[in-house]
Amino acid sequence: MPSAREDRRPVLSRVDIVARGTWILIGLLAGVYWVHQVLRGEEYERQAENNRLRRVPVTAPRGFILDRNGVVLAENEPSFTLLLYRRETKDLDASLRFVAELFNRPFEDLKRRVERDRSYYDFVPVVLQENLTIAEVGAVQARALEHPELVVQKTERRVYTQGTAAAHLLGHLGEATAEQVAARAKARPGDPNLPRPGEAIGQQGVEATYQDLLSGTSGSRTYVIDSFGREVGESGHESPLPGNTLRLTIDLGMQKIAEDYFADRVGSAVALDPKTGEILALLSAPAYDPNLFTRRVSRAEWEDIVADKNRPLNNRALQNVYSPGSAWKPFVAYAILTHGIDPKERVFCPGGLTFYGRHFRCHGTHGSVDLATALQVSCDSYFYTMGKRLGIDALAEAAGLFGFGRPTGIDLAHEKNGIVPSNEWSVTVRKHPWYLGETISVAIGQGPVLVTALQVARGMSGIANADGSLPVPHLFHIGENVRTGERFVYRPQSKESIPYPPGAHETIVEGLWRVVNMPGGTAYGSRVPGLDLCGKTGSVQVVGQKEAKKGHLLPEELRDHGWFASFAPRDDPKVVVVVFVEHGEHGASAAAPLAARLAEYWVTKSRGGTPEILAQVAARPLGRAPARAN
Amino acid sequence: MSRLAEVLPRRIDLRILFLALALTAIGIAMVVSTTAGTPRGDLAGKQIFFAVLGLAAAGVLLAIDYRILLQYSPGLYGVTLLLLIWLPIFGKRIAGAKSWIKVGGGFQLQPSEFARISIALLLAWILENDDRALLRSRTIWLIAGAVGLPVLLVMLQPDLGVALTYMPFLLTALFFGGLPTRWWTILIVTGTLAVGGSWFLLKDYQKDRIRTFLDPNLAARGAGYQVRQARIAIGSGGILGKGWKQGTQSRLGFLPVRHTDFIFAALAEEWGFAGVAVFLALYGLLVSRALSLARDARDRGGSILVILLVLNIAVQALVNVAMNVGVMPTTGITLPFVSYGGSSLVATWCMVGLMLSVAYRRYVNV
Repeated sequence: MPSAREDRRPVLSRVDIVARGTWILIGLLAGVYWVHQVLRGEEYERQAENNRLRRVPVTAPRGFILDRNGVVLAENEPSFTLLLYRRETKDLDASLRFVAELFNRPFEDLKRRVERDRSYYDFVPVVLQENLTIAEVGAVQARALEHPELVVQKTERRVYTQGTAAAHLLGHLGEATAEQVAARAKARPGDPNLPRPGEAIGQQGVEATYQDLLSGTSGSRTYVIDSFGREVGESGHESPLPGNTLRLTIDLGMQKIAEDYFADRVGSAVALDPKTGEILALLSAPAYDPNLFTRRVSRAEWEDIVADKNRPLNNRALQNVYSPGSAWKPFVAYAILTHGIDPKERVFCPGGLTFYGRHFRCHGTHGSVDLATALQVSCDSYFYTMGKRLGIDALAEAAGLFGFGRPTGIDLAHEKNGIVPSNEWSVTVRKHPWYLGETISVAIGQGPVLVTALQVARGMSGIANADGSLPVPHLFHIGENVRTGERFVYRPQSKESIPYPPGAHETIVEGLWRVVNMPGGTAYGSRVPGLDLCGKTGSVQVVGQKEAKKGHLLPEELRDHGWFASFAPRDDPKVVVVVFVEHGEHGASAAAPLAARLAEYWVTKSRGGTPEILAQVAARPLGRAPARAN
Repeated sequence: MSRLAEVLPRRIDLRILFLALALTAIGIAMVVSTTAGTPRGDLAGKQIFFAVLGLAAAGVLLAIDYRILLQYSPGLYGVTLLLLIWLPIFGKRIAGAKSWIKVGGGFQLQPSEFARISIALLLAWILENDDRALLRSRTIWLIAGAVGLPVLLVMLQPDLGVALTYMPFLLTALFFGGLPTRWWTILIVTGTLAVGGSWFLLKDYQKDRIRTFLDPNLAARGAGYQVRQARIAIGSGGILGKGWKQGTQSRLGFLPVRHTDFIFAALAEEWGFAGVAVFLALYGLLVSRALSLARDARDRGGSILVILLVLNIAVQALVNVAMNVGVMPTTGITLPFVSYGGSSLVATWCMVGLMLSVAYRRYVNV
C-alpha cells in the first residue's frame, strides 16, 4: 500500500497553513465581536432597551381655573385619545386608512400629522385623534390584534364650565405644534416639562400664560413589549404630578352681568381694582366657546368663527385699538393742570371754534365753561382751545404718564400698544411733520390717537387713585399646589405713579363726578344713589359728522362707538370700569348703564353686601339709559 | 474487556469527542433558551434526541473501517445523487423548498445534510487514487463535478444555504490535492465571474439579503431588519451577557430565526463577549486537533478525509458567526452543533464519527 508518510509532505505543510489560517480567522471574528460587544456595547444596549420598552406618557391632570370666589371656570373630564406607535407600524398607510375610515377623516390629514412628528424618536407615539367616543374606542380595540400600533389612551379633556363667559381671558387649549415644542426646547434646554407635539397646551389667555403652572409634570408607564408590539409586562411607572389650581382675580358674578349685557352687543368691558390692578371682569364680545377647541372643531364651526366679521377670537379689550373720543378728556385735563393753566379759566363755547382756518364743531353750545364744567358737559370747544395752547407733545407726555402707547403689562399675550401721537412719532412713523391742526382733534380723543379699553382702564386707575399710582392689571390671584396645599401669590408691583400738583387731582375728579351726578352731566342718566360714580363718556365717529347726526337712524355698522370710563366711589375708589360698545352710538346710553351696574355690584360687595343683595343688584333690569348728548 | 477499557480511551480521540460534546451541549442550552416558553418549546427535547442519535451514529461509523467506506464511496455518492435528483421532482414543498423526506413519527430527513458525508468520502477516495504532487486535469474535472453536481441539485430545491456549505469541499480538495498555478488563476477568474453572474440568477429575497448586507440601514423593518436586530442582540450582550434565557432581543422575538440561523446572536446576547470568545476557542481547538489527527493519519485517504470534514464544519461555523454579526450576507447557513436541526446535527456527528474512525486507525499495527 502506498501509505508512507513522506508521500504526504506537501499535504502536511498545507495543514499547517490551514491551521494557522483558521486561528487568524477566529481572531478576526473575535475582534469584530469585541468591537460590537465591548466597544459599542452601550449603544446597542440602548437600542435593545428601546426595542423592548415602550414608554407611554401619562399626562398630568391640568390644574383647575377658579374665579376669585372659588367658582370653577375650567376643569377636566375623562376622555380617550388614539395614539400611533410608529415603531410597531408595519404598514403605515394601512393603519392610517383604517383610522381615516373609522373617524371619517381625510387620509392626507393623518398622513401629514404623522409626517410632522417624523423628527422625533419612533417610540414616541403620535396623537392621531382626540376625544374618542366609547363606540370609537370599541371599534379600535376590536381590531387591536391587527393594529397593535394603535393604542387608546385614557386621558382627560378640558371643560370650560361657563361656556362662552370669560372665554377670551381663559383662552383655550390646542395641540402643541412641532415648532412650538422646538422653540420651547431651544429657550429652555433640558426642560423636563417639554410638551410633546400634539399634546394639548394653552394657546391663548391664561391657559397659555400659566401653561407651566397649570400643566403639572407628565408621568409615564413603561411597558415591556415583544416584537409584535404586544405588552408582556410593565417595567415601571412614574406618577404624574397634577397641575396647580389657578385662582383668578375675576368675579364671576360681575363677569356674568357684563356677559348678559353684551349678549347682543359688540365691544369690551374691563373692571379692575385701581389699587392692586386685580381684574374683576374682562370681556370681549362676541365670544367663542373655548370648549370648541377641546372638542373636535368641525370645519364648518371653524369657518364660522374665522369668517365672522366681528372676529370673535380677538380679545377686543386689549387686541383692538380705537379712538378714545371724549373718554380721552380726563387725561388732557391732567396736561392742562400740569402746564400752568388755571382750571378756573373759562372758554366760551358758541358750538364750535375755528383753528388754522378750519372750523371745529362742538356737539353742543355750552357757553362759558371752566375745566370741571368742560368735563361735565364734555365741551369740545374748551379742549380744542387748551389743546392748541399746550401743543401735541404736552398731550403726548401726559398720555404717556397714564400708560398709553405701550402695553399695560397684563398677564395675557398679544396686547396692542395703541398710538400716542407726537411730533417725534409723526416724523419717525409717518415720515412727515406733525400738522398743527391735528392737535385740535387729538385734544378731544380723535385724530391718530388709538387706545385699548384696558389702557383706558389703567389710565383711569391713575385718576381714581389720589396718590396717582398706576397699577399693573393682572388676572393671577392665587396659585395652589393641590398636593401640598401650598399657596403662592404673585402681585405685580407697579413702580409708576402720576405726580399731581396740589388741587389737580380734586379738579379732575370733581369734573368726572359731575358727569354722572349733576344735571347736565353727560351720564346723569346712569347715576346710582350712594355710589358716587365718577366717569367720562365718549363717542367715536365712524362716519362724517353730518351723517353722524342721524344717530340711530343710521345702519348699525355706521353708528358711533360708545365709551364709558369710570370709577367708584369718588373717595377711596374700589373699582374702575371701562365699557366700550361698538356702534353703540353714545357712551352715555350704550356703555354707562353697564359700567354703573358693575361699579354698584362691586362697591356693594366691598361694603359687605350679602349674596342676596348682590343677586338683587345683578337682577335689576338694565335698560338703555336715556340718550344724551356727548 | 480489561484490554478494551485500557486501549479504547487511548485510541478514541477524547479531545475531539469532548470538544464536539461541549459544542453540542452549548447548542442544546441555546435551543432551550431560544424556544422555551414559546410554541416551539418542544424543539429542545428533539435536539437532545438528535444529539443522542448523532452520538450513536458516530459510534457506528467509528466501528466501521473508514477504508471500506472509501472503497464504497462511489456507490454511496451515487445513492445520494439519486435522492437529490428525486427531491426536486417528487419531493413535497415545506417552507418553500423541496428539501425533506418524511420518515414517520413527525420527523423529516434532509438528504442534503447527509450528502456532505458522501461527497467528502468520494473526494477523499479520488485524491487517494491521484497522489501526485500536482493534480492531473482529469482529476480536477472529477473533483469539480463531484462537488458541482450536488450543489446544482440542492440549489434546485432551492436551498442556497446548504448548497453553499458544499463549496469548501471543492477548495479544500483542490488545495490539498495540489492544484497547478494556472488552474488557480482560472479558478479565481471564473469564480469572480460566477459571483457576478449569479446576481442575475438569484431570487429577489436572496438579492435583498445581499443588498441589506451591504447597507443594513436600508429598511428598518424590511430586509435589513434581521441584520440590524441580530447586531443589536450581539452588541447589547456586552462583555458578560444578559444571562441564560435573559436575552431580551431573542426572548421577546426581535431576533429573527433565533434557534437556527441566528442562534449565535442569541448566544452572544446572553453570554456576552466572554461566551463568544470561549465558543470560538472551542471551535478553534476542534479544528486544531482534527488537523493534527489528519497529520497522524495512517494514509493519504484518511488525512484528506479528516481535513475535508473538519474544514467543512469549520468554514460553515465561521461563515455563520460572520453572518450573525453582519460581516457576511445572510445565506441561511446554520451553525454546526448549535443550530436547531436534526439532520444537520446527526450529519455533523457522523462526520465526527468518521474523524474518530480515522484517528482510531492511525497506528498501522492495529
